[in-house]
Amino acid sequence: MSKVPFIHVGNQVVSELGPIVQFVKAKGHSLSDGLDEVQKAEMKAYMELVNNMLLTAELYLQWCDETTVGEITHARYGSPYPWPLNHILAYQKQWEVKRKMKAIGWGNKTLDQVLEDVDQCCQALSQRLGTQPYFFNKQPTELDALVFGHLYTILTTQLTNDELSEKVKNYSNLLAFCRRIEQHYFEDRGKGSSSIRSS
Amino acid sequence: MRLGGPPRGPCSGPSPAGPWRSPGRVQGCEKPQSRPGSTRPASPGPAAPSGVRGSPQPGRPASARRARPRTLPPFGTRLWSRRRPPSPEALGSTPRRPASPRSSLRPPPLVARGAGRAGGAARGRTEARGEVLPGQRAGKMAAPMELFCWSGGWGLPSVDLDSLTVLTYARFTGAPLKVHKVTNPWQSPSGTLPALRTSHGEVISVPHKIITHLRKEKYNADYDLSARQGADTLAFMSLLEEKLLPVLIHTFWVDTKNYVEVTRKWYAEAMPFPLNFFLPGRMQRQFMERLQLLCGEHRPENEEELEKELYQEARECLTLLSQRLGSQKFFFGDAPASLDAFVFGYLALLLQARLPSGKLQAHLRGLQNLCAYCTHVLSLYFPWDGAEGPPPRQTPAGPETEEEPYRRRNQVLSVLAGLAAMVGYALLSGIVSIQRTTPARAPGTRSLSMAEEDEEE
Repeated sequence: MSKVPFIHVGNQVVSELGPIVQFVKAKGHSLSDGLDEVQKAEMKAYMELVNNMLLTAELYLQWCDETTVGEITHARYGSPYPWPLNHILAYQKQWEVKRKMKAIGWGNKTLDQVLEDVDQCCQALSQRLGTQPYFFNKQPTELDALVFGHLYTILTTQLTNDELSEKVKNYSNLLAFCRRIEQHYFEDRGKGSSSIRSS
Repeated sequence: MRLGGPPRGPCSGPSPAGPWRSPGRVQGCEKPQSRPGSTRPASPGPAAPSGVRGSPQPGRPASARRARPRTLPPFGTRLWSRRRPPSPEALGSTPRRPASPRSSLRPPPLVARGAGRAGGAARGRTEARGEVLPGQRAGKMAAPMELFCWSGGWGLPSVDLDSLTVLTYARFTGAPLKVHKVTNPWQSPSGTLPALRTSHGEVISVPHKIITHLRKEKYNADYDLSARQGADTLAFMSLLEEKLLPVLIHTFWVDTKNYVEVTRKWYAEAMPFPLNFFLPGRMQRQFMERLQLLCGEHRPENEEELEKELYQEARECLTLLSQRLGSQKFFFGDAPASLDAFVFGYLALLLQARLPSGKLQAHLRGLQNLCAYCTHVLSLYFPWDGAEGPPPRQTPAGPETEEEPYRRRNQVLSVLAGLAAMVGYALLSGIVSIQRTTPARAPGTRSLSMAEEDEEE
């Protein structure tokens, strides 16, 4: 079946960020029209950075860190299914994720190293953001949406250890960025648990 | 006119004047290419090194220099801060003249980096005057660092992406590495290539870690990047890994035509017997698995769709790189950084290998600035490897020059062993007998025939 998040438009279902952005662009709305070529290149690159580092770190934390796996992930992942399917599927997913980590070279990383990578990534994002309100100055773009999604999730999800969110909190401009977007765009929704996390 | 060498401060850390890591950069022992620092026409400022050198160093706090990440003073200050006291320079400039043919290889860029400059200048000066400064650095190291990597082919110094990247980075920074180009991964200390054996005997085999280690040893091509540029580096490297790497793997290892006619052919010819029978196949399986896992999430309906999508994204990625590079010499100005090493690795492989089905190659050829960039780096940093173009393909023995003495020796030994076995058998079984005609001649002979007689009895 298709993956979350997805949008349902008429009789079309489009899932995941990339295709959704393309779809909306095809309808004539694009956030990155005002950017020049070099900026577009940078935006794509930073989006990949976030995907590469933050997403992988989140996956790692969810599936390769034993405490988190035992206490949170297994239960959460297997919750829609009856016994014994919940255990089987959870283990299978864990095995899959571990294989993938190995393939991209994260198999031997310790939690500390992963946290360091996250820190590096946040530092890069923080440098890029600087004192601007959004990554490309006044207007938000897809990059802002992606970064907000990840950071917000990291900041608001309760895990067994808070080191990940601590790493993000070290960068005040990123925190301010998240708060700003949350207040500006989500203020009438309140703080829900609507996280755009792709598991 | 060279910008002169960066100051060779004592290795003990940041000289008051700042320039940093020159102690680190100093390397007396590198290959000619390394950084003769020479032609810096592009460098702003000092036309006359001595004049430049004379300027006092600005008070750049040592701490600022130390902070590796990248908050650097404006360019001009950097330049000046590199200047060391005039005397070594003034002396240094002359002896460096002879180095000019070599130095002409040096890219103008290194103004900001000075890595090579440092090395080259140091070297030039050392050679000229037997100065102890580079030696200080050398003395500090327990043993030189050794890099094991795949050997060259297709006009490149190495045919493997990771090895090429690490080699290029080492060239950019002028790190004194002893490079072993091998065709047998079992010869490397870690069993995989590339592998770096540090001066303390430790073996590192992940390319990123190798580069991190080189940075720690003060061969850092990113020292002069601003914080923002450092962030850009991370971002673009992620882009490369996500978009270009799968396609590169696909082009060389999964696409049947390319694999059979180019990749497997090279590896099978280059590897020694009997590895060439099974190792290429095993490598292919490993790469295919890696590819599967890399694009595991996007599992569209069939192979073709996947391929199309991958190539589409790769083409986009190349176009993005081209836009980012623009008309600059390197991605961050005039001096190469680690990002340049990575990008060069990908582009060079895609451009140089003669692929029968090179869809991405065609697209890349259309991006003029990237092609020029590749040839520029190749000609500047790997001039002799570039000339090796066709030969390594036709003469498989080419890449095996490292193993040549051993092969010869092995051949001679095996022939001798065969001869000895035949002669011994002949003597022992009586086919050949030695007459004891001249007892005085060789006691050895007599004893041999006596032994023979004994045996017969």
